[in-house]
Amino acid sequence: MQDPDAFDLGGFEFSASSHNAKEGGFTSKLATKTGTTISGVIYADGVVLGADTRSTNGETVADKNCEKIHYIAPNIYCCGAGTAADTEAVTGTYYVYFSIFQLILILKGMVSSALFLHRKSTLRESRVVSAQSILKSHLFKYQGHVGAALVLGGFDIHGPQLFTVYPHGSSDCLPYATMGSGSLAAMSIFESDYKDGMSEDEAKLLVARSIRAGIFNDLGSGSNIDLCVLSRAGTKYLRNFEIPQERTYIRAEGYKFKTGTTVINKRNFQTATSTTTEPKKIL
Amino acid sequence: MRLLNALTLIILLTYKAMCGHECVAIASDNRLGINQQQTTAIDFQKIFQIHPRLFLAMSGLASDMHTLKATFEFKHKLYELRENRVMEPKTFASVVSTTLYEKRFGPYYVEPVIAGLDKASKPYITGMDLIGAAAPTENFVVAGNNSESLFGVCESMYKENLEPEELFEVISQCLLSGSGRDCLSGWGGTVYVITKDGVEVKSVKGRMD
Amino acid sequence: METYDAVGENNFNPSSYHGNHTKQHATWSPYDNNGGTVMAVAGEDYVICAADTRMSTGYSIMTRQYTKVDEMSPKTLMASAGFMADAATLKKLLKGRCDQYQFANNKPIGCVAFAQMLSNTLYMRRFFPYYAFNIVAGLDAEGKGAVFTYDAVGSYERTNYSCQGSGQQLIMPVLDNQLKTVSPLVLPAVSSATPLSEEEAIDLIKDCFATAGERDIYTGDAVELFVMNKDGIRKETMPLKTD
Repeated sequence: MQDPDAFDLGGFEFSASSHNAKEGGFTSKLATKTGTTISGVIYADGVVLGADTRSTNGETVADKNCEKIHYIAPNIYCCGAGTAADTEAVTGTYYVYFSIFQLILILKGMVSSALFLHRKSTLRESRVVSAQSILKSHLFKYQGHVGAALVLGGFDIHGPQLFTVYPHGSSDCLPYATMGSGSLAAMSIFESDYKDGMSEDEAKLLVARSIRAGIFNDLGSGSNIDLCVLSRAGTKYLRNFEIPQERTYIRAEGYKFKTGTTVINKRNFQTATSTTTEPKKIL
Repeated sequence: MRLLNALTLIILLTYKAMCGHECVAIASDNRLGINQQQTTAIDFQKIFQIHPRLFLAMSGLASDMHTLKATFEFKHKLYELRENRVMEPKTFASVVSTTLYEKRFGPYYVEPVIAGLDKASKPYITGMDLIGAAAPTENFVVAGNNSESLFGVCESMYKENLEPEELFEVISQCLLSGSGRDCLSGWGGTVYVITKDGVEVKSVKGRMD
Repeated sequence: METYDAVGENNFNPSSYHGNHTKQHATWSPYDNNGGTVMAVAGEDYVICAADTRMSTGYSIMTRQYTKVDEMSPKTLMASAGFMADAATLKKLLKGRCDQYQFANNKPIGCVAFAQMLSNTLYMRRFFPYYAFNIVAGLDAEGKGAVFTYDAVGSYERTNYSCQGSGQQLIMPVLDNQLKTVSPLVLPAVSSATPLSEEEAIDLIKDCFATAGERDIYTGDAVELFVMNKDGIRKETMPLKTD
């Protein structure tokens, strides 16, 4: 365990780690890791990011349609591979809903929160390099234990930018990039067909094709293709841009269970009340 | 993993009907085991009611489950006092996720599942791993010791647009069949069906071995 | 597992820097797992043996059209999942034995005798087993469907339905729910064959494979169904998702 005075813990809590290690170690064995294909490419006026939507837990698919392109800022998005919880916590998610009087924004994630506050204090658009440097310094500090492998893309005053950030904190700035277990499959498409100054449609199709290569040739990747286009004109998040395959068979018979199939011992009905939980034992 | 271990399973399904009568069901078995093999309790509840329309279910280490249950009840009560309203399922899921990720390098050994109806009576369900990676879905979530079997039965038997009674039969059959081949689960189950009118709780009969 | 795990921080071994070559082979294994799911369902007068056609290693697919079901004799089908090199060797050996049986007895081997032979063959390698998970399906002497299910070292059992391989845990509870009948040990004896008709069983098997294809990364590409009844053996193929 780290001495809290000697080391900035960065919001983490280590109190149970030594205890858990002694008990034979639960560590992060059960943590969902996403075998993934993510990629990105720079085209004439912007960046296109792409990702598959399969999340695996060992050899089973935990989620068939998860989102791997995360929000960082209105003009910056980031694809994540590696430990699912780490990619989510390090990048960001947001959602908006209406309360009775006001609009409420819920923002989660390290970089998206930091850049949000930075935008509010400087009144300027966020830059991709800010996101990149926050990410890599965080990842470097945790020596690879925060297992996030990222493809970061955005459009700012310097134009379109694309970075890859590795779990140990190194990064590259590239015209086309891939990450995850399907990165080789995806890169094979870029290496053969990438060219400078593509149009938006060309770039979208190229990225979709690279993700498809991962989906079909890498077992860790699968399901659908998500894309995100970032340019001067704004950001387009194309959720399920392509659904390459549907389930091939559904049982003609169906599974039908007559009421009463399951034997019931006891039952109770609790009527809905608007607030406050009082009944502790409802059965 | 030599500690007290609750090896359990939880499954749940949502249902989105065209008529707007929407509901969620959540179910778990009743067994609590120690050292994998020995049964220590046969009436162990893994599903906790956070507020009338929101449920949190956990599988994993029993002591961590109770610690977290107390933590989340406390956090929800504070929220209710401050805001004079109950939490939306989405907000609660966010609280659970961040609480778990705080302990990224010394995690609570639980796999939580959250199910509820939001203000507009729309169903929301999400599963999570032990460090809080949320995976909200629109059909079913499974968790626990025997999740592969549960994935199999749910993937086969889940259908959209089921009436609450049908949904109860499907989720119960999924639970009983899914735990049938798992010697660490069983002893019957508890099923909650949450509709906008209220919560129906049923204790279902299962194998006692 | 991610690509960066392959160069993993924990694999650093200082001794390999100093020419200690024996250590380098410590991680080599004579076994691999090529995944795949096999399954069989027996009815009163038919038996169906099915398997997907994907063969993979690690995160990559080796081929999308590998047949895991073989016709060992006119009344016997055998399907194997697990390590395909072992499965192929085992099948080659057994086919030879089936021919010897034919020459010695002037009739093809029946499925019950074949099932016992497979068990013996597997147990002969008790301490260096064939890493294959087998199912034998056939029609017995009375023309009833029979399924035999094995572990890697030859323990076996006659059942009405079975599933082995990477999708086993996904499919088995569904089959339990749909096909479970009276125990064959109960007295007076009741037929314990699957209650479904041939078409209904095919329907169920296809659905089970579609399910396994959705959730198990090692099951996919296509499923081959071998349907055996009094008219002989018929083969059906259905595509599965290829991702």
